[in-house]
Amino acid sequence: MDGTAAMAGTRQRPAAPWRIGVDVGGTFTDMVLVDDTGILSVFKVPSVPSSPADGVIAAVDAAAAHFGMTRGAFLTGCGLFIHGSTVATNTILEGKGAKVGLLVTEGFRDSLEIRRGIRFHQWDHRAAYTPVLVPRSLRLPLGGRIDRDGKELAPLDRAALDSALAAFEAEGVESLAICLINAFANPAHERAAADSIRQRWPKPWLSVSTDIVPIVGEYERSSTAVVNAYIAPRVVTYLRALGTRLKEDGLRHPLMLLQSNGGAVSVDQVASRPVNLVLSGPAAGVGALTFFSAAAGGNLISMEIGGTSCDVALMSGGTVGVTDDLVINQYHVAVPSVDIHSVGAGGGTIAGVDAAGMLYVGPHGAGAQPGPACYGLGGTEPTVTDAHLVLGRLREGSLGSGGVSLDRAKAVAAVETRVAKPLGLSVEAAAAGIVRLLEQKLVHAVEHMSVQRGLDPRRFTLVAAGGAGPLHGSPVGRMIGCRSVYVPRLSGAFCALGMLHSNLRQDFVAVTRPDSIDSMDMAGLAGRFAELEQRARSSLALEGFGGERLRIERGLHLRYRGQQWSLRVAIPADRPPDAASIRAAFEPEYRRQFGHIQPDGVIDVTALRVAGIGLLPPLKPAVPPAAKTAPAARETRRVYIDDKLGWRQTPVYAGADLKPGHRLAGPLVVEEATTTVFVGVGETLEVDATDNFMVRLGAPGDAA
Amino acid sequence: MSRKQADAKAAPAAHDPVLLALVQNRLDHISQQMGHVMLRTARSPIFQSHDFSCFVTGGAGQLVSQADGCPVHTGSGGFAVRGILKDFGADIAPDDAFLVNDPYLGGGNHLPDWVIARPVFVADRLVAFTCNRAHQSDIGGGAAGTYNPRATEIFHEGLRLPPVKVAERGRIRKDLWNLLLANTRTPDFLDGDLRAMLGSTQIGAERVGQLFDELGLDEGLRYVDGILDHAERRMRAEIAALPDGVYVGEETANSDCFERMEVLYRVTVTIRGDSMTVDFAGTSPQMKGFKNSSIANTHSMVYVGIGSFFQPEMPRNEGTFRPVKVEVPYGCTLNPRPPAATTFATAFPAHDVIQAIWKALAQAAPERAVAGWGKAIIPISAGRQPTTGAQYVLYHWNGLSGSGAVQGRDGLNQIAHLSSLGGLTLPNVETWEQLYPVRVVRHEFREDGGGAGEWRGGTGVDYVADVLTPAEYSFRGEGLYDPSGFGHAGGQPGAPGALHVTLPDGKRHEPPQYSLENLPPVRIHNLSPGGGGLGEPKRRAPEAVLRDVRDGVVSRGAAERLYGVVIAADGRSVDLEATRKRRAA
Repeated sequence: MDGTAAMAGTRQRPAAPWRIGVDVGGTFTDMVLVDDTGILSVFKVPSVPSSPADGVIAAVDAAAAHFGMTRGAFLTGCGLFIHGSTVATNTILEGKGAKVGLLVTEGFRDSLEIRRGIRFHQWDHRAAYTPVLVPRSLRLPLGGRIDRDGKELAPLDRAALDSALAAFEAEGVESLAICLINAFANPAHERAAADSIRQRWPKPWLSVSTDIVPIVGEYERSSTAVVNAYIAPRVVTYLRALGTRLKEDGLRHPLMLLQSNGGAVSVDQVASRPVNLVLSGPAAGVGALTFFSAAAGGNLISMEIGGTSCDVALMSGGTVGVTDDLVINQYHVAVPSVDIHSVGAGGGTIAGVDAAGMLYVGPHGAGAQPGPACYGLGGTEPTVTDAHLVLGRLREGSLGSGGVSLDRAKAVAAVETRVAKPLGLSVEAAAAGIVRLLEQKLVHAVEHMSVQRGLDPRRFTLVAAGGAGPLHGSPVGRMIGCRSVYVPRLSGAFCALGMLHSNLRQDFVAVTRPDSIDSMDMAGLAGRFAELEQRARSSLALEGFGGERLRIERGLHLRYRGQQWSLRVAIPADRPPDAASIRAAFEPEYRRQFGHIQPDGVIDVTALRVAGIGLLPPLKPAVPPAAKTAPAARETRRVYIDDKLGWRQTPVYAGADLKPGHRLAGPLVVEEATTTVFVGVGETLEVDATDNFMVRLGAPGDAA
Repeated sequence: MSRKQADAKAAPAAHDPVLLALVQNRLDHISQQMGHVMLRTARSPIFQSHDFSCFVTGGAGQLVSQADGCPVHTGSGGFAVRGILKDFGADIAPDDAFLVNDPYLGGGNHLPDWVIARPVFVADRLVAFTCNRAHQSDIGGGAAGTYNPRATEIFHEGLRLPPVKVAERGRIRKDLWNLLLANTRTPDFLDGDLRAMLGSTQIGAERVGQLFDELGLDEGLRYVDGILDHAERRMRAEIAALPDGVYVGEETANSDCFERMEVLYRVTVTIRGDSMTVDFAGTSPQMKGFKNSSIANTHSMVYVGIGSFFQPEMPRNEGTFRPVKVEVPYGCTLNPRPPAATTFATAFPAHDVIQAIWKALAQAAPERAVAGWGKAIIPISAGRQPTTGAQYVLYHWNGLSGSGAVQGRDGLNQIAHLSSLGGLTLPNVETWEQLYPVRVVRHEFREDGGGAGEWRGGTGVDYVADVLTPAEYSFRGEGLYDPSGFGHAGGQPGAPGALHVTLPDGKRHEPPQYSLENLPPVRIHNLSPGGGGLGEPKRRAPEAVLRDVRDGVVSRGAAERLYGVVIAADGRSVDLEATRKRRAA
């Protein structure tokens, strides 16, 4: 076996059928496999950015080789293959999408480029926007107007459509989008234009704004349609090719994709809305949180830290929030997405001292190239990873995956030159300062997801995930006042694992004229829910889901009359909607988020939502037998604990030696296949019944 | 020109540098959290566009952190807190809260912006104020919604509040509260919004108190000083990197809100070593209309002009501006005698002051020059909803102007007011049509609106809208008649704005530049000013000109005449030979 593959698990052949989650990240492609008896295996191979499918196949081959199987036999035994991919995201970030033509209402060619004047850093007024995805010369007007109530004021100008199509043809446009004013109120013009286009336009790529997101707001709706049109040719072609290749090689079930909403979907169904894949990888964190909630409870805040960023997600009462407001590379995408707050704080985040002597950490990162100074790939600026290496929390030498080796001398030199000397500090004080400042940013990111949404983070368990998360879990948990921190053993493959505990999901939305819940026609509302549910049922029927394997969820967008923003609230799906139950759902949520309610306020409905959920069998990993003997540390090494305690000889355990029931007092380090865990003084690490780590922080002074 | 070396590298050894960074980060986070409390709890829609700022000052009123807020408020908070200290001195106790808005009596910037300031005590020592400055929805005065273009005295503009104690030892003063609510057209909004402001400063005060508890009183004070000192060192280093000299920048306006006339804003920036003097001697005397700027607002605008000229990550607290001395002659329009009207000052002359400073500084650092932003001309329509009869106030934001070019970037074709540095978000047309009786007919870039230049100015927009009910119009056409987005270094100015309405009988009506008018349902034609270009137009890359022509934002005629670029007959490529000849001529 080469060095790229098996990180954890057993060489014994898996019991069929097994399930596979593959998460293609910027640097590594992670695969988690669970066999029919619940045994988990993890594989990590380098990603192939120029050809992501090759990275997927490499992971498949690595797993097959590990089990001594052929690729064909390995794929044939697979019962479910779920894929999270950055291909949509990268197409946008790299500017490698299709040449798009956009049809708009006459008089409104520029909504897409005006971008509602949204600036991303107010004080940086010199900053340019990222390039508009469709130049003005390819944003062509159609006469015809629908008013705000959906009434036609002027008919669609079909002659203008003909000349626009001719112009697109002449310009070599590959993919079309259409977004007409007030189409949310009446999509007739969009649909009529789309029908004409489908009859005459030779290429298959057409994105109709109200088919993708029938929301109010021409900027966000056109931006979403345009991003969809921009990425569709490349993303759909990639996914179809990968699906075909896997099928030819033996996979008997359709390839499933993980969407931004945290649910899976088949390639066939996502092909018309690839924009739903923009958050494909990180959104799988929801599945992981749902999985860990069985052992760690339903109130969790996850902090997934990789090389460049930290993604924070929050589960309250077993539910993770969904938002419709996603921004990628300054492009707005209004599709349902898991609510994730991402900050530039990771292992590769760069530290330094500014012109007037103030320490900073971030926002810039060293990326994969050159990476931290200790990688020895030419980086000279100290990063958070360098600081950990200086402090002895990371091991010198081979990182175990991807062929990277950590050089402590280079880390020391970078921290010393760029931070310690300018500040007049010792190298370890400088490194500890870098880590502390980073951890304060992590605390603020956690507060952003909790305090600012009216939730007290002290009532949550922090989940430290990602390759770098478990180094920061305890200090961050202490600062926000958590009693415990949960550390998944497979932290470094958090999202790939989450894919194996995901369901299928399709979201549908319909906007309404704002109407009071007290006076509106409830039977009419029930009827509109029924229409959306019918669409959800038929879409899931195509994937083979129905009956008890299908669940419907309902939501409403509600606001007090006169307000301009709505709150998204879940309502019961098993009985007809009525004003009292809607009010009962809205008021507590409003109070939680805004601190007050208007007891006599008129509540208006502005939109309906339905999620169709196809239930997949939950992940049930096998648990190794409980420990019989105490584990022995593999070694002790000098680790810098904190500024008070300084250096301590600290035991270092191999993850494989820790079994359910083990309980160890910090300070200690655990080296796992995909991560390193640091446990401080006064803290206790327990291996729980599911074979993951729970770190009890305890109160100061009650060290176990 | 000699470039000086800044010797500002190391922090004084007395501060633990890691702790210093942590404290600064914590204080910024606290002001941001105060902002979130405000957003979550305020009632009136204006706060959703973030027309408020939360900030923390030291016990003497020195601004320490304003991480969350509107540029237009930068640095003026210290004036309000010092106004409170001046009036109340020793009569400030824990759990008191103060309120102030008056520019003449309490360090306010203009009447609609109300400041709540809450003292923070640690071990009986006044160590800080946590503050919230927010634009109220209505404060009485001569026009609904706080902007009265007919005002000639501050008494026409709304309720004046010198520093008052709005809560005493934790109890709101009911008599005063009732007085406040009696002086607004929207008492429900004001009641809810003031409580939100009180709540946000309460959260801030708790968190600042916590920070001092952790650090200890003396250390806390020392680290707050350390933060200000650091900002001062940053600014001194930036100034020291500029060549010594005397730089003059001028901007003009063409109206005092009543008559066409030239109003001059003149600034002399003197750089000596690592400090700077900003002197407004030569600026026009105070004017009849409501565009006079309070001294606090003038300082804010100086700070925005300077702060936005340097790196965006510069700290912006009182330490930052210690090396900057601001002198404004008393009685000029930027430091008027009472009772001059001042409400519009946060838009104009805020715009003029920022640009005059940019013009002056550009002489010291040409590579950071900014060409002029177009001045806004957007009207406000106030009427009654046809179905409910409810009062509406409709801002025609989608008629805002274009910005100026900078080195390496064309002007933004449409962006919010300069005094917000473009921070306000424009509404969707569809949303506006849902909320108001309006039908927008056009919202598109202008052709040849942007000033020509190597980097082109923003185009401005052609905004046409039908207002479907009779309404009272507040016209505030600052950017009419003359180009306002000036060109720089060979770049040309952007096109001036133009505004007229079409009456129901089809007649064209051109309202006075500043006026209040009652009109029947009309069609508004608002051609917003373009931004200025930067650098010689003939140096603009021919492909960029081609794209502009293909995009319809530059005409073929302008391409030839101004840019010297000849587009080939097919309209899809540059005629390179003809262009070369034309540019050589």
